[in-house]
Amino acid sequence: MTRNFRPRQLVRAALPALLLLAIAACGGNYPNSTFLPNTEFNRDLTATWNTMMFWGTIVFVVVEVILIVAIVRYRRRPGTPEPKHVHGNTLMEITWTVLPLVVLGIIAVPTVRYIWKYQAPAPADALKVQVIGHQWWWEFKYPQYNVSTANEVYLQAGRAVEFELRTVDVIHSFWIPALGGKRDLINNKTNILWFTPDSTGEQSFIGSCNEYCGDSHANMRFRAYTVNAANFESWARHQAANAVFPPPPPAATEAATAVPAANTGATQPAPAPAAAPSTGFEFPREQMGAHTLPSTPIPASLKFNEALLANGDATRGFETYSRSLCIGCHTIRGNPASRSPIGPDLTHLASRHTIAAGLFPNDAKHLAYWIKNAVAMKPGAKMQVVGKGEIDAVTKKPVAAGGLTDEQIADIVAYLRTLK
Amino acid sequence: MRAADSAGRPIPSSVLSLGAQPLVSANAHAAPAHGGHEEHHHYTTTGLDSRKIAIWAFIGSECMLFASLISTYLIYKGRSIVGPFPHTAWTNPQTGQVMKPILNIPVTSASTFVLLMSSLAMVLALAAVENKDKPLPAGAGLGDRMLASSKLWLWATCLLGAGFLAFQAYEFTSFVHEGLTIKTNLFGSTFFTLTGFHGAHVTAGVIWLGTLLAIDYKRGLGPKDALNVDIAALYWHFVDVVWIAIFTLLYLIPD
Amino acid sequence: MATVAASPTYASHATGEKEGIMAWLTTTDHKKIGTLYLHTSLFFFIFGGLEAVLMRWQLMKPNMTVVTADQFNQLFTMHGTTMVFLAIMPLSAAFFNYLIPLQLGARDVAFPRLNAFSYWVYLFGGLFITIPIFGWMAPNGGWFAYAPLSGRTYSPGINMDFWVLGIQILGVSSLAAAFNFATTVINLRAPGMNLMRMPMFTWMSFVTQFLIILAFPVITIALVFLQFDRFFGTNFYQVSAGADPLLWQHLFWVFGHPEVYILILPAFGLVSEVLPTNSKKPLFGYPVMAYSGILIGFLGFGVWAHHMFAVGMGPIGDTVFSLTTMLIAIPTGVKIFNWIFTMWGGSIRFTAAMKFAIGLIALFTIGGISGISHSSPPSDLQQTDTYYIVAHFHYVLFGGAIMGIFSGIYHYFPKMYGRYMNETLGTWHFWLNFIAMNLTFFPMHFSGMLGMPRRIYTYDANQGWDTFNMISTAGAFLLMPATLIFIYNFFSSKKGGEPAPPNAWDAATLEWSIPSPPPEYNFAKIPVVHSRYPLWDLTHPERTKDVPHTDAGMVHTGEHDVVDMHIETETFTAKQLGIPMPSATIKPFWTALGMVIMFTGLLMMPHNKTAGYAGIGVGAAMLVGFLYAWLTTPLEEHH
Ligand code: HEA
Ligand code: HEA
Ligand code: HEC
Ligand code: CUA
Ligand SMILES: [Cu+2]
Repeated sequence: MTRNFRPRQLVRAALPALLLLAIAACGGNYPNSTFLPNTEFNRDLTATWNTMMFWGTIVFVVVEVILIVAIVRYRRRPGTPEPKHVHGNTLMEITWTVLPLVVLGIIAVPTVRYIWKYQAPAPADALKVQVIGHQWWWEFKYPQYNVSTANEVYLQAGRAVEFELRTVDVIHSFWIPALGGKRDLINNKTNILWFTPDSTGEQSFIGSCNEYCGDSHANMRFRAYTVNAANFESWARHQAANAVFPPPPPAATEAATAVPAANTGATQPAPAPAAAPSTGFEFPREQMGAHTLPSTPIPASLKFNEALLANGDATRGFETYSRSLCIGCHTIRGNPASRSPIGPDLTHLASRHTIAAGLFPNDAKHLAYWIKNAVAMKPGAKMQVVGKGEIDAVTKKPVAAGGLTDEQIADIVAYLRTLK
Repeated sequence: MRAADSAGRPIPSSVLSLGAQPLVSANAHAAPAHGGHEEHHHYTTTGLDSRKIAIWAFIGSECMLFASLISTYLIYKGRSIVGPFPHTAWTNPQTGQVMKPILNIPVTSASTFVLLMSSLAMVLALAAVENKDKPLPAGAGLGDRMLASSKLWLWATCLLGAGFLAFQAYEFTSFVHEGLTIKTNLFGSTFFTLTGFHGAHVTAGVIWLGTLLAIDYKRGLGPKDALNVDIAALYWHFVDVVWIAIFTLLYLIPD
Repeated sequence: MATVAASPTYASHATGEKEGIMAWLTTTDHKKIGTLYLHTSLFFFIFGGLEAVLMRWQLMKPNMTVVTADQFNQLFTMHGTTMVFLAIMPLSAAFFNYLIPLQLGARDVAFPRLNAFSYWVYLFGGLFITIPIFGWMAPNGGWFAYAPLSGRTYSPGINMDFWVLGIQILGVSSLAAAFNFATTVINLRAPGMNLMRMPMFTWMSFVTQFLIILAFPVITIALVFLQFDRFFGTNFYQVSAGADPLLWQHLFWVFGHPEVYILILPAFGLVSEVLPTNSKKPLFGYPVMAYSGILIGFLGFGVWAHHMFAVGMGPIGDTVFSLTTMLIAIPTGVKIFNWIFTMWGGSIRFTAAMKFAIGLIALFTIGGISGISHSSPPSDLQQTDTYYIVAHFHYVLFGGAIMGIFSGIYHYFPKMYGRYMNETLGTWHFWLNFIAMNLTFFPMHFSGMLGMPRRIYTYDANQGWDTFNMISTAGAFLLMPATLIFIYNFFSSKKGGEPAPPNAWDAATLEWSIPSPPPEYNFAKIPVVHSRYPLWDLTHPERTKDVPHTDAGMVHTGEHDVVDMHIETETFTAKQLGIPMPSATIKPFWTALGMVIMFTGLLMMPHNKTAGYAGIGVGAAMLVGFLYAWLTTPLEEHH
C-alpha cells in the first residue's frame, strides 16, 4: 500500500458505480415496474409512494448533510481546543421531535385515505374472477361466464375486475406489479382485491406469487392480458364451451377468428356448449411483451426424442390420454373420461401461451418434456411423473406400469395441441 | 481489615486507600468480603436478594406465556367444526349421537376452591417459617402451635395442590371418555394445552414445595430460609391467580 | 472447535484449578463467557454470510443452477435464522456479558452459573439447528415459518422439526440470559450509580432484556402449538379443522417485531458509547436517549401487524397499525439527531470504531426511511414480500446492528485483550464494508420496486432485474474480503496488537478504570459513583463542570486516580484480596447438554420410537441430575 493511497479513495472508485446504477434504474426497460399508471389503484399507491419519497429524501438529505458537516468540521486536528461540554438542548430536542411528527402527519393523510378507498366494495358490474391458489399454479374461474382456466387471466380493459382470492393448500399472494398492490390467499378466508385497468390498452403482464409457499414458489407465475370488450366476450364465450374432438375443419376455425367482432353483442354467458364457436379470441402471441415469453431452459438431464413430435397422432393421443393417469388429475370438458379437478383444466389448453404456471412456452416440445417428467421440469411439481423409465418423485423408482413411451407422449401432445 | 493477603504478602496501600477516594471510591458495604469470610452478604442496589428480583422478572415473562395461551383459546372459541363443545350440546351429523356440553362446572368450582385454599396455606407456611425463632406465647394452645408449624402448612399446600391436580386428572380422563381429546377439534387442542400448561406449572410447584418440605424435615426451615420460601410462595400465588383467570374465562363465560 | 481455542491474555489464576479447555468448559466468569459468545457468534456470522453469498451467486443471472430450489429455500431460511438468532443476538449477548458488570461496577452478573448455562444452551442449540444444512436437511420454511406451510401436511420432512425445536432451545438460552441481565442491572449497580448515571449501553441493554422477557414467551407458545401440531396431531394451525393460519402470523410478529428492536438497541447502545468518547463530549441529551430507548421498546409491542398489510385485515386494522408504526420514527429520529449533535462541536477522532459508528448513523437512516415507506399500507402493498423489503431490513440489520457491533468490537477490543486492533486494517475493513454493503443492498430497492419477489431461487430473463441482481451479487462477493480483513485483524491483534493502557480511548465510564484485560474480580474495591462520567471526573475535572446528576460538593482529586490504583491490583488474585468468586463448575454445561439431548430425542420420535424415548430419557435424567447437583452446590467456595 502506498503512502497516499488511503481506503477513503475507494469511495471515489465507488461513486461512478453508484452513478451507473442510478442511470441503469432510470434508463432501462422495466415491464414489471410498480409505478406504471395502469389502474387508478396503482396511481393512488404511486402517489402515496411519491409523498413518501419526497419527504424521505428531505429527511435523508437533512440527516446526511448535518452528519457530513459535523464530521468534516469537527474532526480532530492538532491544536483543536478541548470541546465545550454540552449536555443537551431542550429546544433543539423538541424541534426534532416535532418536525418529524409533522412529516408523519403529512404522510398519514394519503395513507389513511387510500386504505379506505381501495378497501371499499368493488363496483357492482365488476368482472368477477375467482383466484384459487395451488402449490404451484393458479386456477382462475369466471362465475359470470362459466369459465375455468389456469395460469392466464384475461381482463377487460376499462372494466373493473374483482378478484376473490382463496387457496386450497398453503398461503399464496396474488400480484400483478404493473396493475397494483398484492393480496394474500389465506385458508378459511376469502380476500378481495379489485381495480380497473383503465389505461392499459391490449397488453400482457406478468403476475407472481409473493408469499413463500414451498419448493416452486419462484415458479408460481401467471400472465394477465387486458383486452377490449369484444375480444373478451369472444374469449370468454369460447372458453366456456366444451372441447370438441376431433376439431371442426380448419375453414370454420378461420372464419370464426376472422370476425371476432361478430360476437360483440353477447353479454350473457354462452348458453349451450354445443352451439359454441369452435374457436374464440386468443391474445395474439406477437403482441406479447418480451417479458411474458418464458425462457426457462429445459434441464439437460431430461431427454426426449423430439423427432417423434412431427408424427404424433391426435386420435391415438386422445385414446391414450383417456386411458392413462392423466384423467386422474385433469379435466377436459367434452372428454367424459377426464373430469378430475386436481390439476389445471386442460379444456382449452392450446389457447394458452404458457404452461406450468408461466414457466415454459406452450408448444409441442415443452409439452412433451413436461408430460414426460414434470418434476424434473419444475421442482416439486405436484404432477405425477409419467414418462416410462423416469424416476418417480414419490417412490423414487423408475416408472414402469402405466408409464408412457416417447411415442405415446408425442401422440398425447398432438391431441392436446388440438384443444384450442 | 487485613492488610495482607492470604499468602501473607502485604497489599499495596493504594488499593486500600481507595476508601478515601471521593469520586470513585470504595464503600464499606461494597466489598464486604474484604475484611473476612462473612456469609454471602453481597451488596445489592435494592437491598433485596437477586433471586427475588429474578422471580419477578420470571413471573412477568410467565404472564405473557399465559396471555398467549388464553388469547388463543379465546380467538378459537366457538370455531370448532365438530364437537364436543364446552358449553353447548352437539349432535354428530354422521352418527346422530348427541354430546352434552362437556365442561363440568360444579366439579371445577370445587377444584378451584381447593387451589385457592392452597394459597392460604402457603401464606401460613411462609409466616410460620419467618416466625420460627419467636417463642410461642405463654399458654399457647393447639391453634397457636398449629400456626407455628411450617411442616403442617407446607404439607397442606402440597396436598391441596396435589388435590387440584387429581381433579384435573379426573377431568381430563372423563373428557377423553366422552370423546374429547387434544386432537378432536380446536376446542380440544386449546383447552388441553392451556389447562395442561397450567397443570404442569402446578406440578412443578408441588415438587418445589416438596423439596422445601424435605429440607424442613432434614434441618428445619427457619427465618434464614424465609427468602427461599417467599420465592416459592410468589410462584405459587402466581399460578393460582392464573387459574382464577382461566376459570373465569373458560368455565364461567358461556359461548 | 475454533471458538473455544482462543484464550485470554490474563492467566486464569484465581479460581486457578482448571487450565486449558476445562477452564472454558467450567467458567462462570462473565468476561470469559462473553468471549465465548463473541467467538461463537462471529463464527455463525461468517457461516450465515457464506449462505448468503451462495444465494447471491445463484441469483447473479436469470435461470442459474448453482443450487436447487429446495437447497435455496434452506439457504435463505438458515441465513435469516442464523443471522438473527445465532449471530446478532449472541453478538449483543457477548457485549451484555462483557460490559454490563464492568459498566455497573459489579464483580459478575447476578447468576454466574445461569450465565454459563445460557451460553452452552446457545452453542448446542446453534449446532442443532445448523448442522442439518450439511446434509441439505435444514429447515426450509423461511425464517418466519408461516403456517400451514410449516405444518406436517406441507412440510412432512425432518427439516422443520429442526427449526421448531432449535428455536425453542435458543429461546431458553435468551430467556435465561435476560432474567440474569435484568436482575444484574436492577440489583448490582455500584453504590451511587442511579439509573440516570448508567452508561447508555447498559441502558439500551436493560431495555432489550425486557423486550426479550416479554416477547420470547409469545414465540415459545407459537412454537409449542406448531410442535404439538407436528408431533401430536393437534389442530392449532390445521386449516381443515377450522384453524386460522393468521394465528401463527399474529403470534410470530408479536414476538418478531420486538425482536428487531432486540437486534438493534444493543448496537444503538454501543455507538452511544463510541461517539461521545471519540468526540470528547458527553452524550447529547442523555435523558432523552434513555427515554427514547424505552419508548421504542414500548411502541415496538404495538405495531406487529405491519408485517401483515397484505392479509386483508380490513381498513381499521390497517389504519391503526400503520399509524403506530409511523410513531416509532420519532424516538428513533431523536436518537439519530442526538448522536449527530454529540459530535457537533466536539473534537472527533476517527478511530475504526468511530467510523463504524458514523456508518451506522448514515446507513440506518436509509433503512429507517424505507421502513417508514412500508408503514403506509398503500405504499407497502407494492413493496411487501419483494426485494424492497430485503433492502430495508439489510440496511437496518447490516447497516445498523452489524455496523454498531463492529464499532463495539473495535472499541472494546483493547479492554478485552489489552491490545489495540490494527487501525489501518480497520479503516480498510470499514470502507470496503461500507461500499460493498451499499453495492449489495442498494440495488435491491430497485429490483423490488421493479417487481422482483423475495425468496425466489430463480427468475426469468427480460424482467428488467438482471443488472441489479448482478450488482448485488458483486457486492456480496466484495463483502467476503472485507470480512476476511476483519477476521485477520481480530486474531492477529490478539497476539501482536499494540499494547493498550487501561483507559484505551480516554473514555469516561467505569470499565475503563481497571486493567485490560480485567482481573477476574473486575474491581478490587467496588467503586462509589458520583456522576455520569466517573473517569472524566477524575482525569479531566474540567470536563465535568456541569454534568447533570453529579453529586453536589464533590471534591476533585489530585495524585491518586482510580486508574492507577486498579492497575496495581492486577497482580493479585481474588483469593489474595479475599474476594469471594463463583467457583468454576461443569454442571451448567452438562445440564445444557442434557436439555439438548432431550430435544433431540423428541426430534427422533416420528422416525424411531426407541431412539426417541432413549434420547428423551437420557436427556431428562441428565437435565434433572445435573440441575439438582448445581442447585445444591453453593455458588462460592470458602477460602
Ligand atoms: C434492526 C432491525 C429493524 C429495525 C430497527 C426496523 C425498523 C423499522 N421497520 Fe423494519 N423490518 C425488519 C427489521 C427492522 N426494522 C425486518 C427484519 C423486516 C422483515 C421481516 C421479514 O419479512 O423477513 C422488517 C420489515 C418491516 C415491515 C414489514 C414490511 C413488509 O413485509 O411488508 C415494516 C412495515 O411497516 C417495517 C417498518 C419499520 C419501521 C417503521 C421501522 C422504524 O423503527 C424505523 C425508524 C427510523 C427512522 C425513520 C430513521 C431515523 C429517523 C429520523 C431521521 C427522523 C425523521 C424521519 C421521518 C419523519 C421519516 N419493517
Ligand atoms: C442480521 C441479519 C442479516 C445479515 C447481517 C445479513 C447479511 C447478508 N444478507 Fe441477509 N437476510 C436476513 C438477515 C441478514 N442478512 C434475513 C432475516 C433474511 C430473510 C430470510 C428469509 O426470507 O427467511 C435475509 C435474506 C437475504 C436475502 C433474500 C433471500 C431471498 O429472499 O430469497 C439475500 C439475498 O441477497 C440476503 C443477502 C445477504 C448478504 C449478501 C449478506 C451479507 O452482508 C453477508 C456478509 C457476510 C459475509 C460475506 C461472510 C464473510 C465470509 C467470509 C469472510 C469468508 C470466510 C471464509 C472462510 C472461513 C473459509 N439476505
Ligand atoms: C397426480 C396428478 C396428475 C397427473 C397424474 C397428471 N397431471 Fe398434469 N398436472 C397436474 C398438476 C398438479 C399440474 C400443475 C403443475 C404446475 O404447474 O405446478 C399439471 C399440469 C399439466 C399441464 C400444464 C397445464 C398448464 O396450463 O400449466 C399439462 C399440459 C398436463 N398437466 C398434462 C398432463 C398429462 C398429459 C398427463 C398424463 C399423461 C397428466 N398431466 C397427468 C397433475 C397431474
Ligand atoms: Cu405460491 Cu408462493
Ligand atoms: Cu416490524
